[in-house]
Amino acid sequence: MTAKHIDLRVKKIYFEENIMNEVKVNIFSIVGQKDCTLPEDGDKVHKTIQKILKEDKKASISFLNVQKLTTAFLNNAIGKLYGEFDETKIKNSLSVQDLSDSGKARFKRVTTNAKNYFKNPDKMKESIKEILGEDDE
Amino acid sequence: MPINTLSNIHNDLDGYNQLVKLYEEHKDDIFEKIDIELQVWFDANLSALLGGILDKIKNDGLNDINFTYIKNDIQTILQKNGFLSFYGYPKVYDTNHTTIEYKKLKPSDTRYFNQYLEDELLSRAEFPNMSEAVHDKINESIQEMFINATMHSETDFIYTCGQFFPKDSRLNFTIVDTGIGFAKRIKKDFDIKITSSDAIKWAMVEGHTTKQNVSGGLGLALLKEFITLNKGKIQIISGDGFYELHDNNEKIQKLDSYYDGSIISMTFKTDDSKTYRFASEEDLF
Repeated sequence: MTAKHIDLRVKKIYFEENIMNEVKVNIFSIVGQKDCTLPEDGDKVHKTIQKILKEDKKASISFLNVQKLTTAFLNNAIGKLYGEFDETKIKNSLSVQDLSDSGKARFKRVTTNAKNYFKNPDKMKESIKEILGEDDE
Repeated sequence: MPINTLSNIHNDLDGYNQLVKLYEEHKDDIFEKIDIELQVWFDANLSALLGGILDKIKNDGLNDINFTYIKNDIQTILQKNGFLSFYGYPKVYDTNHTTIEYKKLKPSDTRYFNQYLEDELLSRAEFPNMSEAVHDKINESIQEMFINATMHSETDFIYTCGQFFPKDSRLNFTIVDTGIGFAKRIKKDFDIKITSSDAIKWAMVEGHTTKQNVSGGLGLALLKEFITLNKGKIQIISGDGFYELHDNNEKIQKLDSYYDGSIISMTFKTDDSKTYRFASEEDLF
């Protein structure tokens, strides 16, 4: 067996393992409609992905047939995960399919914002005090 | 009781001052007969605010509201947008298709609101210059603001209304709640006393949210970015704070009276030819 053959076999095994460990998450099906705007609906998606990550599996999240997407929905569906799991684990375990470019831009804003938020949960209170402080100057 | 006159009501500080004064003067009335006159001009999208205010006065104190005089052209537009249907006037068909219907919605009516937005914005043929990208951004912005009101305000109802101005390619849309407002929300969630103006200023910063254990604070930040590029306008009123973003210029002023809930008025330019392309994000997590 040549090195090329071995390499191909390794790749095949890796691919199959990935497929076996990868769970498809169909957002449209979880929410039950094309509008993904409510944080409560985001919570339903969050629960599903949370379960998958707890089982150390991977998730392929599909936005097929989703028409409206708010940051309020994404904060709960995806953002919350950053308060529960390690950033690297999330990055290595989740992938996104069937999302428009504008959807991707919002998605990215949500994940970046969530990472910042969970790094310092007291930041909100501090930022209010900063605004109050500005007035005293 | 003296007649309450609202005269020359535009989307500006004076217009909001007149409307909020009406609220403050009558919010504690009980079993009164309140007479109102609408004179000179009334920006139709502000039906949302007038509706919220009158509903609160009417329901909280069981007061009787009467329009003793409405200038002809104001009456026609407020009959067309359905506002006056709530006060015993018949609905008038909008042949010009420039009104966006006045709605009184429960916070749980989100699905209905989505449909209303689609019907009122998507099916319009009056704006041949409105690109799909701008249409989507407008839709998205309004959607985010409606959800914000349902999440934070503890309101019983949300009042919405819009108006198209085809000649200068402009769309106004106003969302009003009669809930607790920005400053009281902060007091409740963080136990920090803050003025209404500071509360609005704080909320306009990306990532600032009163939600606990969930990140947020992107809706207003995204709206601000879009409105700046679109050369539109944002006005936010809560408590006695009045915030305006227009022509890249942000200002905060104080209202003469205090409004308990929150008001957001958005002006969009519909002939905006920007494509709003997004850099294709590959690294999403």
